[in-house]
Amino acid sequence: MKKTILFIALVAATGAMFAQKKTTTSGSINFDATTSLDQLPKAENKTVIAAIDPKKGTLAFEVIMKNFTFGNPRIQEHFNGPKWLDSEKFPTATFSGNITNPTAVNFSKDGTYDAEVAGDLTIHGVTKQVKTTGKIVVNGKVVSVNAEFSIKLEDYSVDGPQIGAGKIAKEPKITVAADMQ
Amino acid sequence: MGTVRRKMNPWFKKILYGILVIGLLGAAATWYIFSEKFSDTSETKTDFTINALDLIHEFEKNDSLANKKYAEKMIVVNGMVSEIEAADTTVNIKMVDTTSGAYVIFAFQQQHREEAKKIKQGDKVSIKGSCSGGAYSRILETEYITFKRCALNK
Repeated sequence: MKKTILFIALVAATGAMFAQKKTTTSGSINFDATTSLDQLPKAENKTVIAAIDPKKGTLAFEVIMKNFTFGNPRIQEHFNGPKWLDSEKFPTATFSGNITNPTAVNFSKDGTYDAEVAGDLTIHGVTKQVKTTGKIVVNGKVVSVNAEFSIKLEDYSVDGPQIGAGKIAKEPKITVAADMQ
Repeated sequence: MGTVRRKMNPWFKKILYGILVIGLLGAAATWYIFSEKFSDTSETKTDFTINALDLIHEFEKNDSLANKKYAEKMIVVNGMVSEIEAADTTVNIKMVDTTSGAYVIFAFQQQHREEAKKIKQGDKVSIKGSCSGGAYSRILETEYITFKRCALNK
């Protein structure tokens, strides 16, 4: 009898653990649009909201564009300006997607798993379907996500003379890292 | 055999010098702009000083108005630390309105990151930083306001 109660309690506890959406408000995104002509267009944002739902296999990110920090004030101004990302008009960027190989990730066992993610990425008011691979690390209650991918600026209607002149990469590298609990 | 040196037209000479000076000035201005760095936050002028909960309430009430007023302004925020959250190799400081869950979060400037690590939950602090504005989070279903290049206001 005791064993049965213990088993039920364990199943319930595990269920509750899975059901819980894990979040952070301090995820980070690094943006690297440097080229051989210009090493300045790169930035970091460490106040990214991220959430993962182990039960549903969903993953989401939200970020305030103006909180991308550049080393150079002029580049930061260009980044947020109307010719680039127009952060006044489009203050946030978001991602909402799913893990497309859910059986490859065991959220109840510590380890590092190769995950495939697909979903909608919205930047500059334009939403595009993206697919990428990343690592999911399960460590006790913490689930970490790390991914690196590139986006085509023209897909998000971002263009300008600096991009044409080769001073800003046409396909900047985006690195995402978030420890959610 | 002697060589013949043609004398340069004085006007042409002046124009050449002019182009050279303009070119040098242009190069100097470009170098200045692109080698420019953000000042240390602790040495910058403060635009507003406000209590964390008042700031949060202002954004909750009307975030487009609050964004117009505070975005990209240097603000001193006074309040109690609700949470210290690991952010990559550093930490972010959070002040949360416990009634609504809305929060303000501070990411510290490179040279001030060690100060942030010494802050403890429950501390009453004064933090100065560049406000990046606020938005409603669909994930957390609450308002949030983010700050960059922060420093402890001493």
